[in-house]
Amino acid sequence: MTTLGDQASSRFDALPPPPMSVGFAGWVRNNLFSAWYNGALTIVSVLAIGLAVWFGASWVFGVAHWSVIGELGGRFIIGQYNTEGACPGQNCFWRPQVGLLLASMLLGMAWGYAGGGVVKRAALVVAGVSAAMALLPYGFDRMGMDVRLLLVANVPAAFGGMALGRYTPLGTPRWIAIVGVASFVLTLVLISGLPGVPGLQPVSVTSWGGLMLNLLLATCGITLSLPLGIALALGRRSHLPVVKMLCVGFIEVFRGVPLITLLFMSQVVVPLAFPQDFPLNSVFRAAIIITLFSSAYMAENVRGGLQALHPGQAEAARALGLHGWQITLLISLPQALRNVIPAIAGQFIGLFKDTSLVYIIGMLDVVEVGRAFILGNPEYLESARELFVFVGIVFWIFTYSMSYISRRVEEHMGVGQR
Amino acid sequence: MLTYQGIPVWRHVGIIEWAAQIVSAVVVVALVVWFFFNIGRAIDARDIPFGFSFLDREYQTPIGDAIIPYESSDSFLYALVVATTNTIVVAIAGVILATMLGIAIGVARLSGNWIISKLALIYVEFFRNVPLLVQLLFWFYIILTLPTVREAYVIADWIYLDNAGLSVPWPSSTEVGASLAWLGVAVLGVIAGVFVHRLLTRREVETGQPSYPLLSGIGTAVVIGAGAWAVVWAGAGESPFVVSIPEPAGRFGRIDGGFTFRAGLLVLLIGLVMYTAAFIAEIVRAGIQSVGRGQIEAARALGLSNTEALRRVTFPQALRVIIPPMISQYLNLTKNSSLGGAVGYADMTSVGITMTQTAPAISIFLIIMLTYLLMSLTWSLIGNLYNRRIGLAGDRR
Repeated sequence: MTTLGDQASSRFDALPPPPMSVGFAGWVRNNLFSAWYNGALTIVSVLAIGLAVWFGASWVFGVAHWSVIGELGGRFIIGQYNTEGACPGQNCFWRPQVGLLLASMLLGMAWGYAGGGVVKRAALVVAGVSAAMALLPYGFDRMGMDVRLLLVANVPAAFGGMALGRYTPLGTPRWIAIVGVASFVLTLVLISGLPGVPGLQPVSVTSWGGLMLNLLLATCGITLSLPLGIALALGRRSHLPVVKMLCVGFIEVFRGVPLITLLFMSQVVVPLAFPQDFPLNSVFRAAIIITLFSSAYMAENVRGGLQALHPGQAEAARALGLHGWQITLLISLPQALRNVIPAIAGQFIGLFKDTSLVYIIGMLDVVEVGRAFILGNPEYLESARELFVFVGIVFWIFTYSMSYISRRVEEHMGVGQR
Repeated sequence: MLTYQGIPVWRHVGIIEWAAQIVSAVVVVALVVWFFFNIGRAIDARDIPFGFSFLDREYQTPIGDAIIPYESSDSFLYALVVATTNTIVVAIAGVILATMLGIAIGVARLSGNWIISKLALIYVEFFRNVPLLVQLLFWFYIILTLPTVREAYVIADWIYLDNAGLSVPWPSSTEVGASLAWLGVAVLGVIAGVFVHRLLTRREVETGQPSYPLLSGIGTAVVIGAGAWAVVWAGAGESPFVVSIPEPAGRFGRIDGGFTFRAGLLVLLIGLVMYTAAFIAEIVRAGIQSVGRGQIEAARALGLSNTEALRRVTFPQALRVIIPPMISQYLNLTKNSSLGGAVGYADMTSVGITMTQTAPAISIFLIIMLTYLLMSLTWSLIGNLYNRRIGLAGDRR
């Protein structure tokens, strides 16, 4: 079929576009110098960027003393966990490391199931970065050959997990979830230790710390706050007045106060409500509080998704003969959750950032490890900047990967395209 | 067989629902009662003081950065009021500054200039993804390692930056009566200006004659303010406010005059503003993008200029999308100010934690959490009122 354009081009030779509107020159003109004020802005900002890069580079490579990072080394990762006081007479570094291995394996299994994409990248990055840490010149706390070997073992663990996921019947979402929960419990047991088992002597939770603590709290909070939030959101939309009132009360109270006051209360007041020998340690309480706090926000996100859903969806489902719970679980929730993926991911990121607030109850998470070090060693006061820049970058890597993954998931689910 | 409305009770939906509600209510109430009963028993057993009688006692601890006058001999209650004021001041100042910065960055994100929009993107991605606590500690140690007051950085002879804080020129009143009189008249002038603006807008809308409402409104307010300034100047012999410029004084370094943002307040404000602005920028961007292109094109087709289209068509519609999440950011900023303790600012939470050493923690934290709840409720009230005013007619749920 010939179109008007074809005919036109066959009769006249089209003139080439003006040289300033295409190619690199055209791009520069359109995006940097489209108007006089844009040109001025471009010049000013290029100058500013140049200055910033110059000063930044001279600070990073000249002025800054990065030795403080090496000084703290493994403290950033496990806090006081492997010190003589926490783990007397033996090396306990392998216990959290087994947790890391399990995580690598799980990511590998997910990769094997999904067959590539963002999961594959995540598995390879986690395993690769862990293995690369074995090559660091710094001595982590009692970082011997065994620690380094266990770090390198993350790569085979990921590939092993991939093989499990691809070639064995374990490669189904259900089995991956079961293995995931089992590994999390196993990690917790390993880290806290079992009384009476040789090589697994109990380590008090007050010695848990570093990035390990942030990750444990975040994992627990992320896995539990979504189902809890969904339940609260459904409760808030329920037509039963008492259920609705209870959910609204819970959500508004937990959203209305700062997390650190809740954490402080959990430390000072909550223990009073339980018998003295009740096995409810501070990490556990912090995890519960962070989960509850986050689930209140999650509930509002989910509620937003449910509200945005057209009522016709539920009506159509009812017309097809589905009833109450079936409509909610099979029709409303999947669509609502898909529509609020960015909000949910944002809440997960917020939760991960909020784990840094456990400083208020005296736990040495990755931020507090640094702060306590500066407070205890005033000669490093000048290095505090380097330290918090480093901690900030560590957090940024995690949070940015989370938002990257959420965008990929969103694309995969086709949000905004159906 | 037990039936209700002809249906066996265990299959009657209404009865099942009510039974479930009663059971859940009983369980929750029982849990809460059990919780507080246990706490009460623990308090009795361990002789922990409880109650609110401590509020009248003298607090006997200094509060840094008290914005309203405070002495150590004041009561706990008054100390809590001081701490609450500190939190409110940070929240209000932070909200204003974060809104300004956030809007600027959000608009920059949409700029046609590639470099500017990428810079804004980098800002947002960085400041949004690093915990506020880390940012606060970073700024805190930067301020802490600045030179002392005697070797302060001086900017243009007017602004002093040192490890005690930032001193800036600030209006100061020479005579309280004259200042108050002028302030009163100035407020009346602003009200008159708003009134003129409304009147002329209505005239413009009804008759179609150009009446310049904005210009006339601002003009009215400025004329009244300037007139009052002249009258006060003539009457009292001095202008109602002068600009007080900070200057070093004393041998050991002290800065007199102006207003000093002390280190804690300064760090908390910088941190809160930069962190919250990243979130606000994203909200503003999403809001502006939510206005359909057709709207702007239609406005242009009707003959509105670019700025007019932005002001009268894009912005009012974008506001409707922007305001609700913006309010929740304001609420977050207010709550995040509770991190003040980490950088040495005496906000409500940090004062409360200090108080627990000499007074019952439960009572103090009940008060503090209730105060935060009140602040949250105030924010949502403001948000709801605004929403109702600008919301679409069919959109009121």
